[in-house]
Amino acid sequence: MLTAFEDTAQRYRSRVYSFARYLLSNREEAEDVTQEVLLRLWRHQQGVDEERLGAWLLRVTRNACYDLLRKRRSDGTLAASSSLDDDEAREVASAEPDPQALAEGSDFRRRLMAALSDLGEPYKSIVILREVQGLPHREIGEALGIPEVTVRVHLHRGRRKLRERLREVPQS
Amino acid sequence: MNRHQHDPSCHEALDLIEPYVDGDLSADEASRLRSHLERCVSCAAELELATRIQSELRALPELDCPPEVLEKVRRAGRGEVVPFVPRSRTTGLRIAAAAAMLTLTLGGGALFLSLQRQPAQPSPEEIAQATQEAKIALAYLGKVTRRASMDLREDVLQKRLIEPAARGVSRSLGGPQKLEKER
Repeated sequence: MLTAFEDTAQRYRSRVYSFARYLLSNREEAEDVTQEVLLRLWRHQQGVDEERLGAWLLRVTRNACYDLLRKRRSDGTLAASSSLDDDEAREVASAEPDPQALAEGSDFRRRLMAALSDLGEPYKSIVILREVQGLPHREIGEALGIPEVTVRVHLHRGRRKLRERLREVPQS
Repeated sequence: MNRHQHDPSCHEALDLIEPYVDGDLSADEASRLRSHLERCVSCAAELELATRIQSELRALPELDCPPEVLEKVRRAGRGEVVPFVPRSRTTGLRIAAAAAMLTLTLGGGALFLSLQRQPAQPSPEEIAQATQEAKIALAYLGKVTRRASMDLREDVLQKRLIEPAARGVSRSLGGPQKLEKER
């Protein structure tokens, strides 16, 4: 029988990992962040309201990712990746079932991922949480500590920035 | 120049495209936008692009967390391993920097004490030996820096940097006595 931690971890681990991986564009760092977040869950689960657990996990994940991104900048040893790593590119590409559609869409998707990677905050987090991970606006607002209406405004601005970045991309 | 910049209705339309895609516009706003899009090919293309971006983003997969991550958390939570040691690509550099600081501090202290106690100039042999030791130390530090991603063992640091530095200090402190004996 699963313990409360196991049950929660099983439910949320891929959400945490996926959010970290899209934010960081780095598999190893995303694994590290997921470990850190789940370990905090292990230690603090009793103090977290069950209804707000998902938002709490996302907030902790985002903060851990920010710490890593700040560390990257201060170290100057690991430049922020502007696109997917190889493993991620394979996983993302495998989501396209039709080979012809894959060939046509791969360039656009690659450019989209690069634009998403370069997108500033809070737009990037909100676009990932809403469009990629499909979370409701309310939960995103709770996770980021902002009103739901602000989530919508930032989401529109974030996608508009992506559109402006991709406008020059040849549409073939 | 882009025609959007001269057409106020296009400006308005471009602001409304993402809310329209999300269904966040009022019926009146949506209707005005649709009528604009019917006569503006450029804005219609923007709507197509916005729609494609959203559908591509929504087609991205939720990436699976490797099972070993959870296993590591279980073990760390049970205290079987040191809780979460993030991978650091700069650990080696930091150790090397700390070792370099230690060497420079000890070496500087030794040099200071030597200068305090030795009014005479060092001999050419002593200068050559000191130069050789400095070259070895720098070469080692360079090697360590190149291998920054590898773990440095404490015993290596101890034998190659700390102990030689300590011997240097010891020699320097005993230097005047040695000179006295030689005289």
